[in-house]
Parts: sequence; structure tokens; C-alpha cells
Amino acid sequence: MSAARPVWRQSRARVVWQDDWGAGHRWLELEVKSPFAPPSPGQFVQLRLPSVASPVLLPRPMSVASVARSRGALRVGFLYAPVGTGTLALAGLGAGSEVEMLGPLGRGFPLGHPGTPVLLAGGRGVAPLLFAADVLARRRRPAVLLFGARGRAQLVGLADAHRRLAALGGRLHVCTDDGSLGPRGHVVQLLERVTPGLAGPLVLHACGPHAMLKAVALWSLARGVPAFLAMESMMACGTGVCRGCPLPRSASARAAYVPATAPSLHGNREWAMCCTEGPVFAAGDLDWERIE
Amino acid sequence: MSARRTDPPRTPRRAEAVDLSARLGPLRLRNPVLTASGTFGYGDEYAHVVDVKALGGVVTKTVTLEPRSGNPPGRIVETAGGMLNSIGLENVGLERFRREKLPRLRALGATIVASVGGETAAELERLLEVLAGERAIAGFEVNFSCPNVARGGARYWAVPRRLERTLARLRPLTKKALIAKLSPDVTSIGDLARACEQGGADAVTACNTFVGMAVDLTRLRSRLGRATGGLSGPAIKPLALARCHEVARAVRIPVIGSGGIMDARDALEYLAVGASAVQVGTATFLQPDAALRIIAGLRAALAERGVGSVREWRGVLCGEPLGEGPAAKAPPRRKRR
Repeated sequence: MSAARPVWRQSRARVVWQDDWGAGHRWLELEVKSPFAPPSPGQFVQLRLPSVASPVLLPRPMSVASVARSRGALRVGFLYAPVGTGTLALAGLGAGSEVEMLGPLGRGFPLGHPGTPVLLAGGRGVAPLLFAADVLARRRRPAVLLFGARGRAQLVGLADAHRRLAALGGRLHVCTDDGSLGPRGHVVQLLERVTPGLAGPLVLHACGPHAMLKAVALWSLARGVPAFLAMESMMACGTGVCRGCPLPRSASARAAYVPATAPSLHGNREWAMCCTEGPVFAAGDLDWERIE
Repeated sequence: MSARRTDPPRTPRRAEAVDLSARLGPLRLRNPVLTASGTFGYGDEYAHVVDVKALGGVVTKTVTLEPRSGNPPGRIVETAGGMLNSIGLENVGLERFRREKLPRLRALGATIVASVGGETAAELERLLEVLAGERAIAGFEVNFSCPNVARGGARYWAVPRRLERTLARLRPLTKKALIAKLSPDVTSIGDLARACEQGGADAVTACNTFVGMAVDLTRLRSRLGRATGGLSGPAIKPLALARCHEVARAVRIPVIGSGGIMDARDALEYLAVGASAVQVGTATFLQPDAALRIIAGLRAALAERGVGSVREWRGVLCGEPLGEGPAAKAPPRRKRR
């Protein structure tokens, strides 16, 4: 693999609108002028607020939830929970406010991978997967979305997910840990239930908390089902330069690692960099016992 | 001759007429703004968004004899006005740096200062023996100050005699600029800087990150993979500026100021207390072209003040060149009761 030159740019983006999206989440729609390469599902951007608007220093990595072209500009949507200092400041920005957007970054879901696509979402992890469902539908590959959360109230954007999947010809199954909607249990148990009804072979794409992703990864590895998981990490630069976001490689990935051909912005034999090699990883590439 | 605070206000100049050039021993820089080691990769990673030729220089990620895989996560934590890092000198190692990185750096035409790190003087000697003949390299910065490694880090090197002897062994190996980067977490950074000068260093960088810590109260453990990390960003600027000032008063060789420089005003402060050049680090993680913005801002700010060159502004708060710093004078001895 040769080191392809990065395509990311840092550009000014304008808040078009943002609104409450239920379950303590918000939807943010930004517009950025060309040239800004359109992000694909699973990729992320670094959002930086003007220093007068934010008490935080570093930009925040944000998974992209939608992309649309609009009169020579790009509309990029995000689903986020205002819980920390940075995201709370972001929630305070009104229409017309400016932010700096650096991206697109990382590697997204390999949606061309053969098989019946099954999308597994935990909580707000649903956002990039609905984006993935859009892209798959355009390729005439309707997806099945399994959506789990702690309870009914945490199934963020459920109505939107129903509407969008129905329009795309996909199917939606939900489950909750407390049984308040759908079967009681987590998303891997739902996967066990749903799998017999699906035409194989399957390919899994998942986004959600690391505990859920680990369960999906172990399930897929035990059955030889390809699975791709969108990971998270603290980051500074988001571009591979600061070396701040390592994830442990699996034994097989360590054995397959060839330093001479690995781009230097990727990790090393022991660690994969979440920002450049991820955030979407194949289940077999990470050491799930060492991931928190 | 320095511009003094008491000088009458000057007429603003044309920004293009301001001479930004700087000198670090044998190394001439087109302007005094360098990237700090570890924040700009090996120099080619940001090349698609930053014209690296326009920088004063690029200080590369510290290279060691063997590749290093770095510390376990977490490696990055944001704290008030700053960030902690615990990277642990992850790097591709000398062989790959030489084979893969140096040809690319040469093609980019940037002024490259190679940062080298070692656990012993012998390791540093070996690195310089191999790299001294490389035409892509304009100078060396010896990382005597990494806070995130078990061996050969800031603590090991914070001994004046060790620094002096080591630099005396390195000096004959290269005619290129030899720069020593120091830790701020020492009793007297002025003493260390003087030892570097005695050992033959061309310049001193003041300073690396400050040792810092953050606790995860939910899991009751450090938020970093190791107990502590290195603090950088605006939070440390007043601290690092004072270290830079102390070093500038302690030595006659040029000083490179570093620590929390986010804009041209910060750079002006460092130059005013005696730095000949500055390094920009954490700011690059916010805006990859931060160093270029600072160069443009510096030019405009000097022009606005009617200052014709960086040299004229440098040390405006230092008084005449001082061979002796505050630590050189023995403090009055206290009488025992």
C-alpha cells in the first residue's frame, strides 16, 4: 500500500440550523463551500469553534451523519449529545455562526464489501449508519438496521430512522436493555434473532459504545462473518501527526504488519491509529481484550 | 542595537520591508518561526495544506536509533487551556527516517532540523554519525527533555555535567546547528543552558512540556496511560516565557522560545524576552497552518510598531546582552539561628 496524499482541508463552515433531536441529542447542519471533499459514512471531521465562543482548546472529532450538495456548497449533518464543555458550546451556536471544519478524515465503512448489509446501531451510533443506509440504497442494496439502546428514551431519532429506512426500502428492528420498546436485550441478541430471516452471507457495519462494538466483533469473529466497527478515541490533531489515538492491534494484525509499506501516518506494529487507519476497523484487526 | 521601551513611537513600516530573518549559530532562517518537534510529523505530512518552504524551519518528530511503538492509551487529555500528552517518543526509527523521510523532505525544500533522542550519549553519537552527512538536514535539535519515557527522558538529562559532556562529544560530529532542547521541570534551567553552551551547543530551546497529571474520578486512575504527561498549550505560556527569559539571561548563544505560542503576539513576547526564534506546537493541532499565520502576523505587528527586523525587536526587554543570569550570582547566605 503506498502512502496516498491526504485529501483533507480546513475550511470555514456556517451553521445552517441546529435543533433538539430527542433523548438529549441535537442535530447540527453545517454548510461548507467547495473545495471540501464530501465525507463518506463512518468518516469524521474535526470541528473547532472560534475561541470567543468556546472555552475548549482542541477541535472535536465528529462523526458525519449526512451529506448533501447544495448550490456549489456541501451540507454536512451531525448528531451529537451536548455533554462536555466543547459540545455544550457547540449547542449554543445559532444559525449563521461560523466554525472551522477539518476533513474528511479517516476511513469509513467499506460499503462495497459483498454480502447482505446489516447495520448495528447503539444509541447515537445510529447517525452514521442511516447515512450508510442512504448510500447503500443508492447502490440498490437495501439494508437492515438493528437499533438498540438502554431504553425507549435513548433510541435517539427513532422516528427519523423509521421514515428514512422506509423510504430507502430497508428494514428496522429495535431492542432495549430494559424492554421498554422491542425485545429486551442488547443488539447482539437482536442480531441472533434476526439473522435466520436474512439472506446470507452477511456483512456487519456497527457504530455505538465500545462495549457493544466488542460484543459485535466477538460474535462476528466466532462465526466468520465480516464486521466493521466505528471506534472512538480522544484525539488532538485527527490527522495522524500527533500519535494521540492508538488502539491495540490483534495478534494476526501485528503479524501481518509490514513497516516498509505502512504509511507513516498509520500506527506501528503494536498500535493502530484510530484517526488514520480507523475510525472504522475490521473486527479481526483489533485486540478486543485490551479495548475499553 | 535593540529597540527600547523608552524609544519614541516609530512610524509604521511596510510589512514587506520587515526583515524576519533569524540566525541560530551556523543556521540562517528565513523567519524565526519553526514547528515544534512532535507536532508536525516528519515534515511532509502537512505539506498538502502548508507551504513548508515558507516556514522558518521544521523540527521533525524525535527520531531514535530503533523504532518505538509509544505509550499505551490514553495519550491525549485536554485540560483547562492546555493539553496533556503521553506519546512516548513513538517514531519510525533511524533507518526508516533516513530511507523514507529524508528524500521526501529534501524534495520539499524546507529547512529541516532533525530532532534526535537517546538514552545515552553513545546513542546520540550514533544518530549524529549517521545523519550528519545528510544534505536534507540543516541542523539537529537534541531532545534532552521528553517527560514521557522511562529511560533517557527529562530527568536523566537534567544534570549539567552530563549535558555538557554529551554535547562536547556530539559537537565534533557536525558543523550543522546543534540545538539542545531543555525541560522546564528543573531547579535551574539557566544552569542547564550554560552547561549546553559550554559543551558547544549553538542554541538552546526553552522549553519542552511541563509534567502534568489529570485524574479520572470515575475509574480512580490517571486519565493517561502513564501516571503523568507533558502539558502544552496556552496554559503554560507564562511559565515557559519565564523559563525562556531565564535562559536568555544565562547564555550568549541564541535561545528558541517554545510553549503555548498561539498567535503573533505570543511570539512577540518570546522575542522580546530574548528568544532569537520560536517554535509553534499545540497551535498546529488546532490549525495546521498556525505557524504560517504567526509568520504573517509577526511581519504585520513589527511593521505596525515601526520595527525593521526581528533582530531589532529581540531582547527588547532584556537590556544589554547579559553573560550572567540570575543564578550566576550566589544568593546571600542566610544566618543560622
